[in-house]
Amino acid sequence: MEASSDVSQSNGTILKLSGIDKTFGGTHALADVSFDLKEGEVHALVGENGAGKSTLIKVVTGAYYPDMGTIEVGGEKYQSLRPEQARNLGISVVYQEFNILPELSVAENIFMGAQPKGRLNLIDMGARRKKTYELLERLGAQDSINPNEIVKNLTVGEQQIVEISKALATDAHIIIMDEPSAVLPSRELERLFSVIRVLRAEGHGIIYISHRLNEVFELADRVTVLKDGQHMATKNVAETNNSELVRLMVGRELTDMYPPADNKPGDVLLEVSDIDIDGTVFGVNLHVREGEVLGLAGLGGSGRTTVCRALVGLADIHSGEISYLGKPAPKTAGSASQAGLVLIPEDRKSYGLVLNQSMRFNLALPNLIEFVRGGVLRSRIEKQAVNSMVEDIQIKPPDTEILAESLSGGNQQKVVVGKWLLTNPKLVIFDEPTRGIDVGAKAEIYQRIRELTYKGVGVIMASSELPELFGVSDRILVFYEGRIRGELERKNFSEEAIMRLATATEEKEVPVQGGVDL
Amino acid sequence: MAVTFEEASGSFTSRSGKLMTFVRKNGSIFLIYGLIILIAGTAAISSDTFRSPSNMANILRQSIILGLLAIGQSLVILTGGMDISIDMMARTVALVIATLFAMFNSDPGLILPLILLGVVVGVALGGVNGLLITRTHANPFIITFGVAFILRGVNLAISTTPIRGIPSEYLRIYDTKIGIIAVNVIVMAIIWFLVWLFTTRTRLGRALYAVGGSPRIARLSAIRVNRTLVWAYVLSGFFASLAGLFVLSRMGVGDPGTAEGMTFQSIVAVAVGGISLYGGRGSIVGTLGGVLLLTILSNVFNLIQVNIYYQQLLLGLVVLIAVAAYRSPRTVRSG
Repeated sequence: MEASSDVSQSNGTILKLSGIDKTFGGTHALADVSFDLKEGEVHALVGENGAGKSTLIKVVTGAYYPDMGTIEVGGEKYQSLRPEQARNLGISVVYQEFNILPELSVAENIFMGAQPKGRLNLIDMGARRKKTYELLERLGAQDSINPNEIVKNLTVGEQQIVEISKALATDAHIIIMDEPSAVLPSRELERLFSVIRVLRAEGHGIIYISHRLNEVFELADRVTVLKDGQHMATKNVAETNNSELVRLMVGRELTDMYPPADNKPGDVLLEVSDIDIDGTVFGVNLHVREGEVLGLAGLGGSGRTTVCRALVGLADIHSGEISYLGKPAPKTAGSASQAGLVLIPEDRKSYGLVLNQSMRFNLALPNLIEFVRGGVLRSRIEKQAVNSMVEDIQIKPPDTEILAESLSGGNQQKVVVGKWLLTNPKLVIFDEPTRGIDVGAKAEIYQRIRELTYKGVGVIMASSELPELFGVSDRILVFYEGRIRGELERKNFSEEAIMRLATATEEKEVPVQGGVDL
Repeated sequence: MAVTFEEASGSFTSRSGKLMTFVRKNGSIFLIYGLIILIAGTAAISSDTFRSPSNMANILRQSIILGLLAIGQSLVILTGGMDISIDMMARTVALVIATLFAMFNSDPGLILPLILLGVVVGVALGGVNGLLITRTHANPFIITFGVAFILRGVNLAISTTPIRGIPSEYLRIYDTKIGIIAVNVIVMAIIWFLVWLFTTRTRLGRALYAVGGSPRIARLSAIRVNRTLVWAYVLSGFFASLAGLFVLSRMGVGDPGTAEGMTFQSIVAVAVGGISLYGGRGSIVGTLGGVLLLTILSNVFNLIQVNIYYQQLLLGLVVLIAVAAYRSPRTVRSG
C-alpha cells in the first residue's frame, strides 16, 4: 500500500543507490557504485563473473550491509536494509534456482507468504484460486497455467512465471531477475520477454541481469556495466552497441573472440548411418573428421542433444549404426570415455561436476587409472597432471583444493572441459559449451576447442548460439524436429540460411544458398 | 583501487591461504580431536584412575568393536547409503561360529577354519545387501533394515541362551598382550591405517566418494557405480564379521545379545566424525575420532558411575552438539 503512493516521486525514480562500497576481507567487491531504477523501466545489469552484480543485488535485497553509501527507496534514505524490510518496501528477486515448492499447486506457491484468509481464519481456497487466475491473466499466462496444477508438472518457463507471480502477489514493484533466460529453452524465451514487457507497462521497475547482450538490446531501456566491482557506465540502450558493451565489460576489444579457422581436417573419425532414436530422432546421418569442428544447430527439442547423448551410449538407438574408428561405437558412457569418445554435457550441475568435492577430485575423476602405480593412487602424479591442466585451461585462482560448488560458472565449465581433456580424447562432443558463462571465459573455451583440432581431435559442438557456431565450426548441420534439414559449409554460413532450415520456413525471395542439402 | 575477486582469492595460494583452506576443509577433524583432548584432558586431571596406563590401554581395546563396525558404516555412508544390518551381521557370525565350536567339541584345530568361515558369512551377507540394493534401486536404509530383521529372526532361531564351548585358545584373540598393550590394539591400528590408505589412495576408495557425491556424474566419469556400491556393502559385512569374531573372543560364549545397539552407535561415530550422511564427503580419520570420543565418554561415565540412563542422555546431547557444530555456513558466491 505504502509502496504505490511512493512511486510518484520526482522523475519516477523508485530505487537509487549512491556511492555503495562493500569490502570482503580487504577485497573491494563494490567500489563507489551508483545505480538507479525508474518506474516502468527495464534496467539491465551486465558484467563478467565476479564483476559484483550479485553483491549489488544482495545489497538491495538486504542480504549484505554496505560499508558506505545510501540506498534510497520509496522516498526514504537507508544506510542498509534488512531482508524483511526490503521485502516490505516492495523489492523482490526471481532467482535462477526457483524458490518454489515442486509438490504444491501453483496457487499454494504464489500465496505461500500471505494466504488469503476467510471465515474462522482458515485459508480461503476459492479466493486464492481467483486471485491466482487474476495474476496469471495479467501476465497473459492464464491459458497455459492452471492455478490447481502441481508445480513440478510445469515447464521451466511456466515455473518461472509462477515465481514472478509470487513476487507480484507480495505487491513487489522492484523486481530483480537474476539471469532468467539462462534456465530457459529458447522456445520459452519469447514468453518471458512478453511477461517482462507487461510488468514494465504496469509501471514496475525491473533489474535484468544477463550474460546475453542481444537480450539487453531486445528488452532493456538502460544498461549498467560493472567490472571488478566498479561502475563502468550506464547507457541508454538506444545509444550504445554490442562492441561498446563488450569493451566496457572486458576492458579490451574482443576482436579475437574466435580463434582463426586454420585447422586441417583429416580422416573420418566417427560415422553415423541412418539412426532412429525412440520417436525423437529419425534417419540421421553424419560424420566427423579428425581435426574438424562439426556444429549442430537447431531449436531446443530438435534432436541435437539426443544425438549427442546417443553418440556416447546415453540414449537407446532404435535402428541404424554408429561406427567409430572403423568399428562399432562403444555402447556405454564408461566404455566410450575409455575409447576417447567423450561428451561434455549441457547441464554441468547435474551431469558435469561432483559439486561437494574439490577441483582436483573432479579433474582427476575420469583419469584415476593414469595415477595408479602398484594398485595405489600416487598423489604426486595426480597433482602434477591436475596442476598442468589447471594451468592449460587457465582457471583462476589455481587453487586445486577449492570446492567445485564455490567456483563461478565459467570456472566450473572450464573444470568440466579440463577433466575430459585430461583423458586425451579423440572425439569431444560439446553440448552448449558456453551456456551461462561470461564473454572472457567463452573466448577461452573457443580457444581450447581450436587447440583440440590442431592435435587432430574431432569436435562436435551443439549450440543454440549462432555466432559461436559460425565462429568455431567447419560445417554446420541444422536439425529440425528430429531430422537433419541441411548442411552448411563455412563459406555459406549465414543467420538467414540457418534460421530458415531450423524453423523449416520457405523464403521465396532469398534463394537457398549453395551447399544447402535439403 | 579496486581488486577483483579473482585476484583476491588468488592470494589463497599463498602459504597462509593454503593453511586456511586446509583448516576449513578439515574443520570437523580439528573439532573432534579438539573435543577428545578437552574431555580426556579434563578426565585425566581429575581422575588418576582414568589417566592410569592400564585404563588408557583398556580404552583402546574397548574401542575395537565400535571401530570395526564404524569403518564398515563409513564406507557405506560415503556412498550415500546406510547399513542398518551391521549389528545383526556381527551377531549372526558370532552365533554361527559359536554353534560350530560347540558342535565339534571345542576343537582348537578348528579356530582358523572357523574364523575364515565367519569372514565368508559376513562377506556373503554384505554381498546380499549390495546386490539387493543395486538390483532393486531401493533405498539402502530399507533394504538393510529388512535384512537386519531377517537376521534377528535367524539369530533367535540359533539360540536365545549363551552358547558355551568356545575353545580357550580362541580367547587369546582378546587377551594376548605385549606389555600392557593388547596385540589386537596393534592389529586394529594397522587396520585403521590400511582403511585410510584404501579410502584416499585407491580407485575404489575414490569411487566411493564419487558415487556418494553424484552417482550420475560418477557413471559419466567411467566409474562402475553398481560395482562400487556392492563393494561398499561387502566390506561392511566383512568388518561386521571381524567385529562378531572379536566379541566372541571377548565374551567367551556365543552371546545372543552380541552387538545390540551397535548400528546406532556406529552411525553416531561416523556422523560425529564429520562424514556427511548425504554421502561423498568426510574422512575415515574423522570416524576414528568419533569412535575414540564415544569410547572415552563411556569409559568416563563408568568411572564416575553415571547412571546408564543418563549415559544415553549425554550421548544424545553429544550427537546434537556435533551436528549443530557441523552446520556449515553457506558459501557466498560472487558474480
